[in-house]
Amino acid sequence: MTDHRLSRLFPTLDRRQLLAGAVGLSAASALPITAWAQGTTLNVRSYLEPEDYDPLDASGFLEEMLYGCIYRKLIQYVPGDEWAWQNDLAETIKQSSPTTITFTLKPGQMWSDGYGEITAEDVKFSMERHMVEENNSRIKPDLGPFTHVEVTDSHSGIIHMERPFAPIWSIALPYLAGTILCKRATEEAGGKITTAVPPTVSGPYRVSEHRLGERWVLERNPDYSGAAPDFDRVDIIAIVDESAAEIAKEAGDVDFTAIGPGSVQRLQENPPANSQLTLHPALSYTWVGLNLNNPKFEDIRVRQAIMHAIDVPSIMQAAYFDVAEPSTGIIAPGLIGHREKTLIPQQADFARARALLDEAGIDRLAIKIDVLNNVTATTSAQVMQAMMTNAGIDLEISVHESGSFWSLGVAADGERWRDLELTFKRFSMTPDPYYATAWFVTNQIGDWNWEQFSNEEFDRLHEEALSETDNEKRDAMYRRMQDLMEESGAYRFITHEVTANLYADTITPATRPDGLPMVQFFRRA
Amino acid sequence: MTHFRYTLLGRLLADPMAVVAIVIISGLVLAAIFADVIAPHDFRAMNMADRFAPPSWHYWLGTDNLGRDTFSRLLQGGRIALYVAMTAVSISALIGLVLGMLAGFGPRWLDNTLLFFFDTLRAYPTIILALALAALLPRGLSTVIIVVVVTSFSEYGRVVRTQTLSLKNAEFILAERAMGASFGRIVFHHILPNVLGPFFILAAMNLPVVITIEAGMSFLGIGVPPGTPSWGATLKDGFDFIRTTPWIILSGGLPLILVTLGFTFLGEALRDQLDPKLRKGR
Repeated sequence: MTDHRLSRLFPTLDRRQLLAGAVGLSAASALPITAWAQGTTLNVRSYLEPEDYDPLDASGFLEEMLYGCIYRKLIQYVPGDEWAWQNDLAETIKQSSPTTITFTLKPGQMWSDGYGEITAEDVKFSMERHMVEENNSRIKPDLGPFTHVEVTDSHSGIIHMERPFAPIWSIALPYLAGTILCKRATEEAGGKITTAVPPTVSGPYRVSEHRLGERWVLERNPDYSGAAPDFDRVDIIAIVDESAAEIAKEAGDVDFTAIGPGSVQRLQENPPANSQLTLHPALSYTWVGLNLNNPKFEDIRVRQAIMHAIDVPSIMQAAYFDVAEPSTGIIAPGLIGHREKTLIPQQADFARARALLDEAGIDRLAIKIDVLNNVTATTSAQVMQAMMTNAGIDLEISVHESGSFWSLGVAADGERWRDLELTFKRFSMTPDPYYATAWFVTNQIGDWNWEQFSNEEFDRLHEEALSETDNEKRDAMYRRMQDLMEESGAYRFITHEVTANLYADTITPATRPDGLPMVQFFRRA
Repeated sequence: MTHFRYTLLGRLLADPMAVVAIVIISGLVLAAIFADVIAPHDFRAMNMADRFAPPSWHYWLGTDNLGRDTFSRLLQGGRIALYVAMTAVSISALIGLVLGMLAGFGPRWLDNTLLFFFDTLRAYPTIILALALAALLPRGLSTVIIVVVVTSFSEYGRVVRTQTLSLKNAEFILAERAMGASFGRIVFHHILPNVLGPFFILAAMNLPVVITIEAGMSFLGIGVPPGTPSWGATLKDGFDFIRTTPWIILSGGLPLILVTLGFTFLGEALRDQLDPKLRKGR
């Protein structure tokens, strides 16, 4: 190679050029640091990816986190420690009768990308489409006895229900089912928003890119009618594993993540630099369920023996690192219907369990528990396995990946639901007890009611509590329902868990009282 | 009478690499056999007060998240690893031997069919096949063994077929045939002894691979059920808490390294001794 060629590859610099270059480089390197310090990009970790941008397909909080950034509702939860709601699109909204709610929209609230103003027709369209059978809305039960929206003018309407529905203010309107879509854009998209990015949005951010399996890139929505968000860009990054998410946080790749209970003590003792850790009592509920229609458990003494042989405090210690508290039912503290204590003590009583098995004429009982393949579930199962041997029960642990596990009790997915024995499950929850009991009524057998629990009184109370507006009466109803569940011998309640959030001190996160993030309200610190 | 140093064992003991292999493997086998005697603690015993204990005189390799002694669990894990490895390798080797000889001796169509079958199985990525089979079969050691057998017998089959093909037209076999030797005599007296050399080398080399497959499946949660003290399960338990208690995952990896080294050295030494082209000093 000649010198000429070399000089083209490696140009020579004189002293002046070198100094100028150094100054330029220094200035350039300062730029991203300044930008970072101003926090113009927010990176939030999500543990799964929502299927699409249509609430019809939504199933839980992950959609809520994304939809909260790009869509709006009539009312929304208020971030903080108390469950409350505030107006979002609604200028006024009130219960005009036990079965009707009257609302008026704020004027001038716009859809992005030239889709015009948000109107009462959009509200009608968004809510009523959940009730259309062929739409197969996953969250239809959230709307309870909702029937239709009567549009009174372009910005006003009346929500009609068949009968009073207490959770309308705590679930139906401020959660997924209350998400308002643009009627015109949805119809143009063929009736469902399954496009790569939504054609129009109304929230503070819009989707600029979806990198499948990696992240959503959101940017400011220039047509947003509310107060401008603090961040130019929000990346919602999919990281399934909590340990990996924690490492990503410490490496600065994410600004906000939930972490597992196993890390809480270590992070409390040695907090990472420039980070904050917060703990929030969660609403979700975890329990060991037993299939009542399995011939092994026909005798209630056998069922009671199993429940007495499960030591909840040991599970709390081993699997939840004493960060969470044992639960007394499926309804968390602070909600209507929460019970102060269980019927069967949370501490195991192996002698009682053994005596019950003896009465049932069983020397050794061999049973199986199906659990998800995660450290909390498998650790809990191992603790149960070790403890149950004290009562003469041999517990076999069967581990499943998520897809396989969540189809175990579903009749449409095969015959396995009939032969289930024990399962260790966790359901997410919203701030109304209706959302907890809805999955254990008789018509949920073969779907979510894997215990195949069927009790007429329970079903009746569930229906009555929906329409009961007296909180004291409602409270008593839900307590009784949990008593019925426990009396059946099919449920051993474990915990409501704790949400532990780790975040950079450059941001001020906003969370619901149960610790789940409301990204649209995040601010720079 | 043959002098000891000219026997296979004698020749192996003269090879330093083989001696290292024999020491490692013997140590692991003895530790697995006498695990109940050697183990300082009950491998099942949970002791929540001592969980995540670092290595000490009381717990040589520390404890896991349930306060179980890691060293005692690794000793038991050795039993599982050797059981899975020996069983799976024996079954897959036997299947491979029979199918390989059939392919080598059989008609062209049978050879082509079996070859296609071997190549199809070998082309499929082991871990993907393992994941698929594990989803269909109940979890446990039997499933791990089935996965290993399905993924590895074709390798034996191919080696045996190649050896058989090269031998069946050898002059001494043709001479035997000409003298009216039966099919059984040709196979069992002439072909089989000549096939066994590379066959055993392959088996020795495959043992650590099988152990690693079992560990990998257990690490992914599709191998042995939780609570079973397999080496892969120990790795998984350790991985979940790698940031706070790295000794669990390090301890779980140690026997895997040793067993891989031991059997690989043994396979290399066997190859040196059994493959005439590589045999030195004679």
